Amino acid sequence: MTNFESLLAALGSHGVAFIVVGGAAAIAHGSSRLTQDLDIVYARDPENLRQLADALASYQPYLRGVPAGLPFTLDRSALARGLNFTLVTSLGDIDLLGEIPGGGTYEDLVVDAIGLDIFGTRCLCLSLSQLIRAKRAAGRPKDLEALAELEAIEEEDR
Amino acid sequence: MSSDPVVEAYKAGIDRTLIRENLKLTVEERFRKAMELARFADELKRAGREYRSRPK
Repeated sequence: MTNFESLLAALGSHGVAFIVVGGAAAIAHGSSRLTQDLDIVYARDPENLRQLADALASYQPYLRGVPAGLPFTLDRSALARGLNFTLVTSLGDIDLLGEIPGGGTYEDLVVDAIGLDIFGTRCLCLSLSQLIRAKRAAGRPKDLEALAELEAIEEEDR
Repeated sequence: MSSDPVVEAYKAGIDRTLIRENLKLTVEERFRKAMELARFADELKRAGREYRSRPK
């Protein structure tokens, strides 16, 4: 099970610039759907890559679904070489996304993201309308079902 | 209303009482509830695996 509290605290305490997206963002807006991981969009500047790597370093980050023993270290240069990383850590699963369909990069999303205090950590999170746009753009069958719930939340919250 | 008929069809099956209850909670309470549910789901999976591994 993913420990959202500890993961957010680790990111927050290292000053990582990130936005909560995906299922966790949906939970923040009132979704009752279970999610297995924390998805974040992170800023790609070199300093933030270092902070992100430092934040997760204590929690044995490793590529999810990849055989154990491969020479992988999550550091600034590894983050700079890739864009999206699906990781397992000792705090649970976390997806680090450089950009998302229907939303773009951290810089694109940060303008309309909302600020939330979650477990004492100040976080940015996709707004409900951003989340709906992202789910529409993703367009997978599971996203359509999630989209239906998000639109229902929007209707109930009016 | 969504412009997508598939989304509208899914929406018809949504339990809005769950949404209304969640909207009464703080964000932190929503996350705590989600983690409790995930813990319960993990326990159900473990129990199922244990049951399936029993000799028949």
